[in-house]
Amino acid sequence: MSPIAPPEGNSPAPNDLGGLIEKEQLPAGREALAEPLIAHSQRERILVAMAESCASKGYNATTIADICEPAGVSRATFYELFKDKEDCFHAAMEVSLADAMGRIIAVYSPDKPWATMVRDAAAAFLDLLASRPQFARMALVEAPASGERAFELYASGKRVLQSLLDRGRDDPVEEEAIPSSAGRAALAGAEALIVGQILAGNAERVRELLPDVVYITTVPYLGQQEALRQSRQAEKLLSAPGG
Amino acid sequence: MSPAGGKEPWRPPRGRHRLPPEVVARSQRDRLLEAMARVVTEKGYTAATISDLTREAGVSRTTFYELFEDKEACFLATYDNTVDVLVQRVLAAYEAEERWPDRARAGLTALLELLAEEPMLARLALIDVGAAGPAAQRRYRSAVQRLTPLFDEGRDFAPDGRSLPPNTSRMAIGGVTGLISDAVLEGNVDGLPGLLSDALFATLVPYIGPDAAAREVGEPTR
Repeated sequence: MSPIAPPEGNSPAPNDLGGLIEKEQLPAGREALAEPLIAHSQRERILVAMAESCASKGYNATTIADICEPAGVSRATFYELFKDKEDCFHAAMEVSLADAMGRIIAVYSPDKPWATMVRDAAAAFLDLLASRPQFARMALVEAPASGERAFELYASGKRVLQSLLDRGRDDPVEEEAIPSSAGRAALAGAEALIVGQILAGNAERVRELLPDVVYITTVPYLGQQEALRQSRQAEKLLSAPGG
Repeated sequence: MSPAGGKEPWRPPRGRHRLPPEVVARSQRDRLLEAMARVVTEKGYTAATISDLTREAGVSRTTFYELFEDKEACFLATYDNTVDVLVQRVLAAYEAEERWPDRARAGLTALLELLAEEPMLARLALIDVGAAGPAAQRRYRSAVQRLTPLFDEGRDFAPDGRSLPPNTSRMAIGGVTGLISDAVLEGNVDGLPGLLSDALFATLVPYIGPDAAAREVGEPTR
């Protein structure tokens, strides 16, 4: 029943990634959904209904009734808990981000080789998306297009992932100049692939993209041979029993 | 006629005329597409109304609904039109070169210059499509997929082409379009041609690795 891993309350996270999450004012660990996803409170049911409606008809077309009915709450209850539709969407996004950051903190360690950390973080992130297809769609498809507040949350989550990738620059194998945008482009490439899969209705299977994601995110820094090796290892991880 | 045309669209003369009805309808449709592009650039897809479109295009509401089922249908038609212009321009530049890295450079140069000249295209093609709902988003994906064969040629050029992950081209395209969208969102449409080095590196690196990609970016063969 406890939310996934991250430190309780406002105590600082135990590493520099935590520091970055604080800096981005992301809600890490403060409000993650219970695992497995059984919505007990009215608030949780509303957030789940919001994500489901976003997935099926999009945020713009979603009405308060679309949320209240499947959540089994009255309009009055909705407005006691949320100011309006946007407020509710924002809360659902905060929960999604808290989950994502919690998963990434759980696999993060400054002592791990960078490529291993990228692989573990990517695997954790893809697992989360696969287990919550509606939230995946809301966070990666709807949020970037649904107003400034939601976009800002989406963008700050992305900055955390990007800073993880940019760390590959610390120990470059290749000698030529790598543009500072390389990590951003790699992340955008991985995102496009994942979102494509979600839009095709295959969110449950995004985990299969791990070897691709590992390749595109490591190749700018590690070079082709090493990135291919990392990608093949990720593939083995996928086929390993229980992996 | 396309939103990229820049000039005033041709209009049939006012008053009574003998133009065949399908010709008049065609031009009304074109005017609505251009109106959609303008209105979306000014206020965004969500805020755009049918009245904005009919006023801007100089057609009646009845005409609008004869031509399009709703606002979304009009947007999708505008979008397809926009993408056609972009893809044709990129293809022409790309095919004028021989070596794949030179082709990539030429295609990207054409794309970035066209977007900088026509900020309307950039917004429409990359930003508002997100707000226009699932159908528009699918349309965006399939539009981008039209560029896939150009990227797939990188596999033939790459020393290790066959061992590259299956989705390499989709990710390379996603990287480049991501860099461009970021610049458009920051309001830096004018500066898009300055993005060439970064966009070219992002295109080449999955296929030929960082060393060779950086050399190609630094030293164009012509």
